[in-house]
Amino acid sequence: MAQRASTASKKSPQAGSQAGPQISPLVIKDLHERMVRIRLFETEAGKLMEAGKLPGFLHLYVGQEAVAAGVMAALRDDDQITSTHRGHGHAVAKGVGFREMYAELYGRVTGACLGRGGSMHINDLTRGMLGANGIVGAGVPIAVGAAFAARYKGEDNVAVTFFGDGATNIGAWHEGANMAAILGLPVIFVCENNGYAEFTPQSAHMLITDVADRAAAYGMPSVIVDGMDAVAVHRAAAEAVERARSGAGPMMIEAKTYRFFDHQGVKGLRHPYRSDEEVAEWKTRDPIDLIEARAVADGTATRTELDDVWQRTRDEIAAAIAYAEASPLPDPADLLLNVYSG
Amino acid sequence: MTDVAVEVLLPKIGLTMQEGTIDEWLVSTGAAVAEGDALLRLATDKVDVDVEAEAGGLFHPVVPAGVTLPAGALIGWLLAEGEQPPDPGGTPMPAGSGSSAATAAEPAPTGGAAGATAVPDLGGGAGTGVLPALTGTGEGLGAAAVPSAVGAGCRLLASPNARRVAAAADIDVTAVRGTGRGGRIVSEDVEEFLAALPDIPIALAPPGGTPTSPLVRKLAKERDIDLSAVNGTGPGGRIRRSDLDAVTPAPVRRNAAAPQPGDVIPLTGMRGTIARRMHASLQEMAQLTHGYEVRMDAVVSLRDRLKEEWADSTLAVPSLGDFLLKAAALALREHPLLNATVREDGIHLLDGIHLGFAVAVPGGLMVPVIEDAVTLSLPEIARRSKALAQAAREGRISPAQLEGATFTVTSLGGYGVDFFTPVINPGNVAILGVGRLRDGVEWVDDRPLRTRVLTLSLTFDHRAVDGAPAAEYLRTVGELLSKPLRLLV
Amino acid sequence: MTAMTVTTTTTEAPAVATRKLSYVKAFNEGLAQAMREDENVFVAGEDVAGYGGVFRMFDNLLDEFGPRRMIDTPISEAALVGLGVGAAARGLRPVVDLMFMDFIGVCLDQIVNQAAKMKYMFGGALSVPLTITTASGAGLGAAAQHSQSLEAWLAHVPGLKVVMPSDAYTAKGLTVAAIRDDNPVVVMLNKVLLGSTGEVPEEIYGIPLGQAHTARQGSDVTVIALGRMVGEALAAADELAAEGVEIEVIDPRTVQPLDTETMFASVRRTNRVLVVHEAVTFGGLGAEIAAQIQDVVFDYLDAPVLRIGAPFSPVPFSPVLEKAYVPDRARIAQGCRRLLERS
Repeated sequence: MAQRASTASKKSPQAGSQAGPQISPLVIKDLHERMVRIRLFETEAGKLMEAGKLPGFLHLYVGQEAVAAGVMAALRDDDQITSTHRGHGHAVAKGVGFREMYAELYGRVTGACLGRGGSMHINDLTRGMLGANGIVGAGVPIAVGAAFAARYKGEDNVAVTFFGDGATNIGAWHEGANMAAILGLPVIFVCENNGYAEFTPQSAHMLITDVADRAAAYGMPSVIVDGMDAVAVHRAAAEAVERARSGAGPMMIEAKTYRFFDHQGVKGLRHPYRSDEEVAEWKTRDPIDLIEARAVADGTATRTELDDVWQRTRDEIAAAIAYAEASPLPDPADLLLNVYSG
Repeated sequence: MTDVAVEVLLPKIGLTMQEGTIDEWLVSTGAAVAEGDALLRLATDKVDVDVEAEAGGLFHPVVPAGVTLPAGALIGWLLAEGEQPPDPGGTPMPAGSGSSAATAAEPAPTGGAAGATAVPDLGGGAGTGVLPALTGTGEGLGAAAVPSAVGAGCRLLASPNARRVAAAADIDVTAVRGTGRGGRIVSEDVEEFLAALPDIPIALAPPGGTPTSPLVRKLAKERDIDLSAVNGTGPGGRIRRSDLDAVTPAPVRRNAAAPQPGDVIPLTGMRGTIARRMHASLQEMAQLTHGYEVRMDAVVSLRDRLKEEWADSTLAVPSLGDFLLKAAALALREHPLLNATVREDGIHLLDGIHLGFAVAVPGGLMVPVIEDAVTLSLPEIARRSKALAQAAREGRISPAQLEGATFTVTSLGGYGVDFFTPVINPGNVAILGVGRLRDGVEWVDDRPLRTRVLTLSLTFDHRAVDGAPAAEYLRTVGELLSKPLRLLV
Repeated sequence: MTAMTVTTTTTEAPAVATRKLSYVKAFNEGLAQAMREDENVFVAGEDVAGYGGVFRMFDNLLDEFGPRRMIDTPISEAALVGLGVGAAARGLRPVVDLMFMDFIGVCLDQIVNQAAKMKYMFGGALSVPLTITTASGAGLGAAAQHSQSLEAWLAHVPGLKVVMPSDAYTAKGLTVAAIRDDNPVVVMLNKVLLGSTGEVPEEIYGIPLGQAHTARQGSDVTVIALGRMVGEALAAADELAAEGVEIEVIDPRTVQPLDTETMFASVRRTNRVLVVHEAVTFGGLGAEIAAQIQDVVFDYLDAPVLRIGAPFSPVPFSPVLEKAYVPDRARIAQGCRRLLERS
């Protein structure tokens, strides 16, 4: 488990599943259910894609569920998030409905973007989901703007921006981090370090091991957590959110995690950029297996209760897919809808 | 039916015809025609005739109506059932008109529907785009150096707006002389051309609310069609020629508004004005008329040469009447006695030379005035005379445009009259009548030489002008016509 | 040629008191009035608050509106525009200043991929009422990275609006309209015009976006001029009027959306048209305007649509080169004469 404080940080909170205050059983169940919902949404989406039913790209979140679940469980509906090209997990964990998500993947007019955005642009303003984003790093400044708006309006909501290890090499990330820091805005920077920028391993795209070190350059505290441990992520997120909400400024969380599926789709067809052994080793620490083992071990939930969550979710997903498939396609006559306001 | 494609060529009507305009296709594309069926109406500078098919077959025109082509040009095919028109590339359409026309290297557009307003590509190979210069250039030939609207690639240069205006007026844009950049025909050229349409002494419908072209109005009058009852299918409800066909097919040409026996024509309005003024003129003045034959060879050959030299271009060739107007004006400068008016206190020689010219209009004639004619170039005189004539015929002319003439020219040549006694317009002291252009004979030693002549009929008021000065005036006019280059400027 | 010369700059102005104001002060006044009108309007940018903007565009605004609404930011254009996008998505009306238009190169993603597309890709769930102000144009010896007119880049992007104030009156009215508009709008101020003066109403007013203004009526040639070129075209029109040629000058004011109907109607009357802009001719707005004109009113043209713009080169530094580079009244007049040439 990689837990350490960034040495250069102003503040270096420790966060992990075994440390800190007791976690409520309700939170454990909540984290579990969010992860199961993500897992099933993504695996079903992968099947639909492989069956040729979905147009476009699909960047699946399987393996990283603990990060989205851990952070989102610490947020309110009016807290804002900006997401990435791998955004389904964030959307599901933030509470966006299966029906509008699947309908969007199908390109139906009932989708979250009326069929105009697709996988990489799912949003739900009622849930504070400011959108996935097709441009790496682009969500970072937007989250800064959302946080600015909250403070400007005297509201106490915060903004969370998710990004991968690769995104911290792009200018917008650095500009956004510095801007949030200098303006003291309530932004939580969550790095989902899955070790790869698309197909390039971290060691080939930056010389540092911990992305969290970059926060120091902007005078921003950071913490590194086990991204397969939802409870650890949650504890770190809860502290960062509380800190930001209190007006103490931005903070960065680096969650070390892993992408079980390929960059795009389920299974890579070309360049073997990572070994089967590496994938298998990470899968021994499947975040859902970890939380279920913990829940059963400490008596938080029975196996049956956990299985009920899976079944309930499967049923909900089957209904959502049926809804999406039955939904009407957009009318080409409405092609120009929403290009402009007014 | 033929079993092999038969060319339809533009016929040569009479000895002197060089070019003709396809006024109208009388059969539609693909229609079966029998030998002797009328194929098209051809307009030449002399007559309009219906041209008959020399064989039977399915008719395929290769040029649209409205184009002007030299005699002998391929204008269509008569085909057997199922037969295709031969490859146009192998049977190039002669470019433009005139004997110097280059052989087309580009295929001419084929299958153009009758009445199409598309302008044919006056195709020509490399090296044919340069207009031959006038040979033997003399003074005043600057106008001939004007670039033609046919550019270096031998493509007709006409602006879209010029084509639109031309199409709306139902005229062939290739007939217009281009003055825009690089010789491009621009809408102003078309408008000027329209204003200068040649005299057609046929009654026209009065100007009204129905948008039509002058040509359509003319045809409607000929066919006795009430334009207000015609459904226009053109842009903006404009009535096209084809709309007239829908009302009255197969027109039989006749002069319009011919008075019938038993009619009483009241001496009111214009008729009354003419009656009063002509009667007053003859009562008041001491009028007599000189006849004077002038040689027109130089004018005719210059005009023929201009027609030939400008064949590939769209330059408008001045009419004989334009030459006469110019010559009359210039001669007046040398003989100011004829540019005068008689008042109680004496004969007033007038400052400006303002030429009136008679125009036949429905129910009478009008005399529009070209102000300061002596200062105007021949093309400008032509432009103004035609514009005024057009306005007079359409009833658009203003009273101001009919006033102030100091001298008048009138022509009956088009009616075959050689000599006549025109009546002086009150206020003038002379009027010049122009007779028929005809062949004359000159003896060179013992050999007869054919010449071109016409007779001028100068009526003058003996109160102001004696016989000798009147004759001198005629001689000056004759000299100017015998050396016409100076008239060009 | 018919003489119908009406030169106006304030035809839409309400019947209120006007006074002479410079272009930059008119902008400043419009911005201040818009900030008073709507509490959600704030300004962010480099040196906009404490310094008042390098072109004095934001003078005195910090005094009135304080640091909450006047925000100096780091030199981080991507984050600056992104801040505007995020704040706009959350209901504010940000005005972000890019100082020099040339700097959009470092934040195009936020403008083009984020601000412009957000409403569309989100299925209309939100609007992005963002205003981006920036100074464009050559003429100050600022050389190739501080002198460009890049309206064609932006006008190409669905979702963006682009306005080009041509005088003090439009500097104020278009800025107010941009701030009131619910879309991302780029306001391209012109550096050379900043000190120019014109009659400006005292009260707040917005000039409708997407409406061209006929700055001068004429019958012979339509000149469509962008930004600073409007003044040059009017000067050329005066020169040509002395020759009996009447030029109609159309100021589109907004290049996206573009009011082509006004242009078409004018061309139907004049049959000749010239488009002039400071930007390089190749791929400029002139190409778009020419294409649309030939598409719709081809049959009314007596000459090819003539474009006058900058040559295909970066903006040069040396004043003699820069003067040769930027179109001016003489080139416009020459172009009009060429369109009207007849033998």
